[in-house]
Amino acid sequence: MFDIDVLLPDFWSILEAVPVTLAMAVLIFVLSTLIGGLFALVEYRRIPVLRQLVIVWKVAFKGVPMVVVIFLAYYGLPAALHAVSSLLSIEVNAHSLPNWVIIIVALTACVSAFQAEVVKGALNAFDGGQSDAAHSLGYSNGQLFRRVMFPQIIVSAIPDLANSFMVIMKALSLAFAIEVVDIFAQAQLTAALNFYYLEAFAIAVLFYMVIAWVVTKVADRIESALRVRT
Amino acid sequence: MDLATMIPELLSALPLTLAIMFVAIAVGFCLALIATTFRVYRIPVVGQLADLYVSYARSVPVVLQLFVAFYGLPLVSSLVGLGDVFSANIASMIGLSLYHGGYLSEVMRPAFLAVERGQHDAADSLGYSFRQKMRRVIGPQAVHIALPGYGNAIIYLIHNVALVMYIGAADLMATAHLIMERDYNQYQFGTYLVLAVIYSLLCLVAWLIVRFFERRHAKYSSKTAPAKVRFTTSL
Repeated sequence: MFDIDVLLPDFWSILEAVPVTLAMAVLIFVLSTLIGGLFALVEYRRIPVLRQLVIVWKVAFKGVPMVVVIFLAYYGLPAALHAVSSLLSIEVNAHSLPNWVIIIVALTACVSAFQAEVVKGALNAFDGGQSDAAHSLGYSNGQLFRRVMFPQIIVSAIPDLANSFMVIMKALSLAFAIEVVDIFAQAQLTAALNFYYLEAFAIAVLFYMVIAWVVTKVADRIESALRVRT
Repeated sequence: MDLATMIPELLSALPLTLAIMFVAIAVGFCLALIATTFRVYRIPVVGQLADLYVSYARSVPVVLQLFVAFYGLPLVSSLVGLGDVFSANIASMIGLSLYHGGYLSEVMRPAFLAVERGQHDAADSLGYSFRQKMRRVIGPQAVHIALPGYGNAIIYLIHNVALVMYIGAADLMATAHLIMERDYNQYQFGTYLVLAVIYSLLCLVAWLIVRFFERRHAKYSSKTAPAKVRFTTSL
């Protein structure tokens, strides 16, 4: 039942999807970290109205499974875009929105709710006395952030950031529901051609575990390199 | 879209979702306990196998784990000599149990290690047996530390039960798809919104239950142990 011979062709076939998956994951990672960072800043500074909005956002996107969010975006986003563009009287065919854009928007929305938590944790680990010290030395807010805060919070956030990158990699496997092809989807497509399902999925499992291992190792390396300076 | 007929029909699929969830919670807890024991006490070969299992459960997408369970279990059962006993429901229960066990092990291990070494030594010097030590000294403290992470694990499990429709279990999502298709896919957005509300409510209930236990266990918090163990986000 388990055929060793198909493993190698399956491997090459599934390898084709790896760069696309990684590219999408990196894009979502960058976007969601930026948005999550903004959310964390809003909560850190306690900006009145925005703070409640961030809490609503977090409750909404943490309570709903990602599949449901992806489907909601798939059916809701083109209509929403159409409404906005007609409001601004711009001619856009919103229904020709490519599916990979939808998956990126949906997953960014989901993951940013979690990223906000990560950045907030890193911000809370920052020692408030240091910002007082920097202010007394005449640092401006921008300098304080660039030279004192950022180097420290990035180090304490690295393990969590590596973890959330893997979360994104895993979440992309749900993209098959709206016909975006990532590693898992490619495994399914490969298996559909020759009916060796278990073999293709075993290869996909291998890919995910290797990627997770590499990401963890790289994160450890970066962390220990940066840790020296603090 | 008629909410009055749709919601009862959706809720008729809720028992299966809940059954898969509870089986995964129970079996996953036992698996996590076993895996954590092997990993914490670094038992030679078994410990490494448990490590491999945990990294499988944590780094492979849940959909893929479900598919591996769905296609892999018949292989296992034919090797053992059983017939074709695995339906989609059983396969999804086993797949999610494996996932939940691996995830939970990574909650339990840091919580166990966060209990100070001195507590073990103190219990040993007072002549506690291993079982007494675990039940009366280490257990309550570790449970207190692990509870927030356990709450997260339950919520992720609820999210992931939504994926069992891909291997053909007739849960909430699958029923929602049936309802949508019967209406010629007119009300997809609305149906998914209703689903989102149902899942949010499930998560809310789970979170309230966990928080109740968290409050009750607050008295066991150690004053010298690190106040908070950070649990990272995961799917």
